[in-house]
Amino acid sequence: MTPSAPAPHVDVATPERVALSLPVAGIGYRCLAWLVDASLLFFFWVALYFVITLLVSDVLGAFQALSGLTQTLLAVGLFATQWLYWTLAEVFFHGQTPGKRVMRIRVVREDGSPVGFFESAVRNLCRAVDFLPVLYATGCITMLLDSKHRRLGDLLAGTVLVREEAIDLDKYTQGPATDAAPASTPAPDASMQRPLDAADVELVLAFLARAPGLEPEVRRRLGTRLVDRVGASLTDEERARVLQSAEGTEAFLRTRAKAAH
Amino acid sequence: MATPLPTFVTRRRPDWDALQALLTRQRAGRLGLTELRTLDTLYRRAAADLAQAQTFYPGTDAHRFLNQLCAQAYGAIYQPPRERWASTRDFFRRDFPATLRREARFVGVSAGLLVLGLLLGALVVTLEPRGAELLVPEGVRRYVAQGRMWTDDLLSVAPPNAVASGIATNNLTVTLFAFASGILLGVGPIFTLVNNGVLIGAVGALCFREGMAAGFLDFIAAHGPVELSIIVIAGGAGLMVGQALIDPGELPRAQALQARGREAVKLVVGCAPFLAAIGAVEGFISPGHLFPTWAKVGLGLSLGALFWLYLLRAGRTVAGVARADVPEASASNRLR
Repeated sequence: MTPSAPAPHVDVATPERVALSLPVAGIGYRCLAWLVDASLLFFFWVALYFVITLLVSDVLGAFQALSGLTQTLLAVGLFATQWLYWTLAEVFFHGQTPGKRVMRIRVVREDGSPVGFFESAVRNLCRAVDFLPVLYATGCITMLLDSKHRRLGDLLAGTVLVREEAIDLDKYTQGPATDAAPASTPAPDASMQRPLDAADVELVLAFLARAPGLEPEVRRRLGTRLVDRVGASLTDEERARVLQSAEGTEAFLRTRAKAAH
Repeated sequence: MATPLPTFVTRRRPDWDALQALLTRQRAGRLGLTELRTLDTLYRRAAADLAQAQTFYPGTDAHRFLNQLCAQAYGAIYQPPRERWASTRDFFRRDFPATLRREARFVGVSAGLLVLGLLLGALVVTLEPRGAELLVPEGVRRYVAQGRMWTDDLLSVAPPNAVASGIATNNLTVTLFAFASGILLGVGPIFTLVNNGVLIGAVGALCFREGMAAGFLDFIAAHGPVELSIIVIAGGAGLMVGQALIDPGELPRAQALQARGREAVKLVVGCAPFLAAIGAVEGFISPGHLFPTWAKVGLGLSLGALFWLYLLRAGRTVAGVARADVPEASASNRLR
């Protein structure tokens, strides 16, 4: 929950005159996405193998006659898994192969727009080079050296992988359920004080979201520190009352975060 | 002072949720006209909210959420024109041959490299008989020593369509690699071209020396011209990439690379179907003695001539017409 870590970003200027900055997916996400895709293809072939061997034991004669066709399909299929799978998936599923979808990363152009066929073809043809000498060694080294974690194929195609985060907005809006509480809890004139700035609100809300899962001792200690931080104008007596119980502390903090309600 | 963050989020969140739902639907399929209008309105509102969040709540989760939401909506709204049937047709009718003619320089250099390899291979084997041991694969040498073509057995172990698909995919892989390895400063295509040239030259010279020139010609005549042309074109595409990397001109290196990469891949994508077709010729017609040599030579030469006629003439005169009958607006205003 810290304010965005110094991770690489792609900056996009939109026609609406708002600057977007997309977080770039690092080498870890990309390797995992590749592993998912690779195992998907692997299991596809394993399944196919079993299906075919079952067929052979069943209808041996008929299968022999078809063996030419099967071999053709095999050659074309192997080719498809090696080259076509990636580009077709990226073009038809908005820049995401199944593996990338699982990892919530997406291929986009460097200006943030979706990839087209040619960009996708370039970056996936370059897999052959990035794979050299084994297991994407070239690609990984390039990714480590490049500021936006691009492999050679991305450099040539002008694409970059961006990450989509799962961001929970509930912590901002879940207040009303507990809004009734402050009336009975002694949280004296919390709303009279100076409203907090966004960073403090963020900090308090992050604490409140996690508080139920914390150890009681830690929960009290962190709560006390936050009360001291945001409730500077409390009198000693009020402070002691607020700190009496964990619930009281958190109710005070919640009211404080929503000061202008 | 701005509204406190929770108030801001609570007030604006319904719009964001609606936008997110619309974007999910947009990815799954098409949207109706009214939904598109809503999408547009909601996106603009979210962009305004993002601007507010950037000013008053930088670095918060709300800011990050809006940033991501706007990025997704931006991607959905500002889409490049879709590549559809019409543009595929247009690509083969006009764009691919035109690109090739524009980059003829690189294809020429690439052809030169292949010919250089051919000459080298042939020269080495002709001048130094033991050179064949170095340059010609052992399997091929064994067949030649017995006075037979190694391709004679090709069809007896597998039916022709299997041979054809195997050959086609193998050749496609070689071709694609000749292009992709261009990013290694152009060393890759040079190696692929010279290497393939040396191999063909050496095998040819070995056959000639052993008095099997007719057999060699018989095998390569039907598919050789087109297949070598395609390798040369793909090598040229690889050289384009290498050149952009070594001498980017007035652009920054990364930009030059992207611009040239986009042009170069057109040559490779354009060649792919022809390569698959010629793989069929190589599997069905070239091996064995189903067709007489003169027929193979005739077929090879005419296919090669047709291929180059297409590359050099297509789209040259009808460029203006072809552009007119594909209205670009209809392609770009369709959301998917």
